[in-house]
Amino acid sequence: MKTRSGKKIQRVRIIAQIFFTFLFFYLLLHSGYSRVESFNYTEYFFYFDPLLLVTNFLAIGKIIPLFLLSLIPLFLTIFLGRFFCGWVCPFGAINQFFSWIFRRSKKEKREVDKKLLKFKYLVLAAVLMAAVMGTHLVGWLDPFSLLTRSTATSVNPALNYIAHQTLKPGAGDTGIIAKGLKPAYNFAKKNILTNKQRVSSQPFVIGGILIFLLVMNLYKRRFFCNYLCPLGALYGLVSRVSLFNLKTNSNCISCSACSKNCTYNGSPYNDYMKSECMTCFNCTSDCPKDAIDVRIELPKKANRTPIDIGKRILIGSLVSGVAAAALPKIVIQNRSRLHGFTRPPGSIKEKEFLAKCIRCGQCMQACPTNFIQPALLEAGPEGIWTPILNAQTGYCEYECNKCTQVCPTKAIELLTLPGKKEFKIGTAVVDRSRCYTYADGYNCAVCEEHCPVPQKAIRFNEVERSNFKGKMVKVKRIYVVPELCIGCGICENVCPRGDAPGILNTAEEEAREFSYY
Amino acid sequence: MKRREFIVQSTIATSSLLIPGFMDKLSYAASLPVVKIEGESPYTITNKAIETLGGMGKIISKQDIVMIKPNIGWNRSVEQAATTNPEVIKALIEMALNAGAKKVIVMDNPCHKAEDTYKRSGIEEAAKKAGAEVRYTDENRLVTHNFKGESLKQWPVFKDFLEVDKVINVPILKHHGSAGLTIAMKNLYGILGGNRGKLHRDMGMGIADLAYGFKTHLTVVDAYRILKNNGPIGGRLSDVELKKTIIASTNILEADVVAISVFGLNPANFEFIQAAAEKNMGNTDLSKINLKSLKI
Repeated sequence: MKTRSGKKIQRVRIIAQIFFTFLFFYLLLHSGYSRVESFNYTEYFFYFDPLLLVTNFLAIGKIIPLFLLSLIPLFLTIFLGRFFCGWVCPFGAINQFFSWIFRRSKKEKREVDKKLLKFKYLVLAAVLMAAVMGTHLVGWLDPFSLLTRSTATSVNPALNYIAHQTLKPGAGDTGIIAKGLKPAYNFAKKNILTNKQRVSSQPFVIGGILIFLLVMNLYKRRFFCNYLCPLGALYGLVSRVSLFNLKTNSNCISCSACSKNCTYNGSPYNDYMKSECMTCFNCTSDCPKDAIDVRIELPKKANRTPIDIGKRILIGSLVSGVAAAALPKIVIQNRSRLHGFTRPPGSIKEKEFLAKCIRCGQCMQACPTNFIQPALLEAGPEGIWTPILNAQTGYCEYECNKCTQVCPTKAIELLTLPGKKEFKIGTAVVDRSRCYTYADGYNCAVCEEHCPVPQKAIRFNEVERSNFKGKMVKVKRIYVVPELCIGCGICENVCPRGDAPGILNTAEEEAREFSYY
Repeated sequence: MKRREFIVQSTIATSSLLIPGFMDKLSYAASLPVVKIEGESPYTITNKAIETLGGMGKIISKQDIVMIKPNIGWNRSVEQAATTNPEVIKALIEMALNAGAKKVIVMDNPCHKAEDTYKRSGIEEAAKKAGAEVRYTDENRLVTHNFKGESLKQWPVFKDFLEVDKVINVPILKHHGSAGLTIAMKNLYGILGGNRGKLHRDMGMGIADLAYGFKTHLTVVDAYRILKNNGPIGGRLSDVELKKTIIASTNILEADVVAISVFGLNPANFEFIQAAAEKNMGNTDLSKINLKSLKI
């Protein structure tokens, strides 16, 4: 027999998790689906992340007003414990789902691993220390950033490919399966799938990390949440003083059923840890005797087995945070005037950009043309997964300012559409050794045709020259008008040359100040 | 139908069965007049143009599957005159369906992202409302088509354009840097896939080869708003001029020649017109074209 009220509250929790997960993906995918009109709520999940509030404040010394919304869940934690992890967090829900899928025999008993639980607090300490030093590492493991980035650059394009391949009825296929799939395919095509397959520069790295984290649930329940998540650690610290408490009463028959599905492998009966309890109510649901009470009471000092982090290890992680912050600051790139990458329109000065950007990949998801890609080492070690522009995969759509709308930390500042049209991302440069009109003596002018600037930033002069046959021919020779060029990159994107483009989108004359200091 | 017309046409029809390829050549010579209509509403003048040409029934047979190929190349609005006017498309779809077409498809291979261009141009909405199927290109449906041209020999074409019974080509008249102007013949670039940019090398001949190697059955040039400068993408309203004109013809070259004259230029100065003239695709001399001009 299982208790009915315990079961009920567990169900409500599951419904809440499903709701928030769907909401998260609805908002996220809504941004990226090519619609030109603005949709203003895609980044709102981030505003409820207190970790970002703290790290942003430490890194840039300013509070971004909307992030104050994150004080709401933080405040509620005082009453409800780590409810955010158990009820709201979409990545938590996904991990919970996979833990449930991967659950083994019912008799299996997994024990609390305090050493591992400790680790997330060390991650938090290192991240905060790095932020103090002006380096923003939080995005690497912040659950929202991680999930958004993985979705934008790996999961979404991969699912798009799979859906197209599996749902699409073959040409002239009239079988029952093909006919039955057609409505599903058409629906998906209309609402979710993109006509053109999106690509990403690092599906193996970013997608691989996601798969690794999900598979680790096989080893420990909610692996990421318990052992790695810095946001979970922050909530854990706060919930140490929360009023929420679980206690066994006199009905308890010491059967240990409550530990069977506990997210951190503990239980209210044995090893109850407020800071680790995600208030999932699996234990109340599993208890055969209704022996677990939910209590709202003032926290007592010796409140059941807190995690002992240990001074040495804490200091060690703080020091490693300092090192992690300092080393990327002294790489050679930081002194160079030259940089081979451009950033989305509205991006701020490089130093502040690195301090503000949480590497969440919202802009990559929002970009309708697949122009924005995660950096690997192009922007130095500190710039891993920050957005850079790749004119081979896309171009900046002239009539779009979406990336500037969705950036949660405003590392990419909001630009109006007319403002974006004048924002100089960079400048195109003709490579005369490759451009057909110079190197081979062909007419081409595809870049001129596509240049979206109304007065044309790419033009041509008609000249007479001899071609490779020694014949005199009239050629329309391409040139760039630097002060008109906005660096949208469509010229490089459409250049028909086969090996490498004859015109390049470069960082020359970019509007933002490029400086690491 | 008059008796004489009937005799002439049935003779052509039967003889064309006997001589392969004869019908194609003859249809250029014995084509219907070129119609030029001026008026306030793009919808009304399109209707009037087809009516003056002899009605959609002359071009479309019952149960035909009809492809309408507008210019939906760019993410620009109708006022910016970089894409075909949706009112024109709407009128054509309605007329085709009234003439007994089984299905009307609207499709283009745009330069910008298809989802954006279809939407912003207003063509997606107008076409769906009028009862047509709006289709995006699918790279899996590319087949190599033999154009047998001098410059354009073989090129991947979207199968959709080859599988239909009739093709209606509906370009917008606008400026184009390397070709001079883009009208009906150049508009057929939209049936091509692959690295289309490479075709800019020998553009005049390429355009003529394209129009010669891929048969369209009706050309309707939207010259309601024309883009005078900085085409084919434009953007500035100051580059747009209201001409309030529709040109309809069954001969693609003659439609282009008349359109160039509407733009105010001399057709003889255009490479693609010269190249098409060499292929005997029709008259390039404006005075020799059977032109019906109307103002309503």
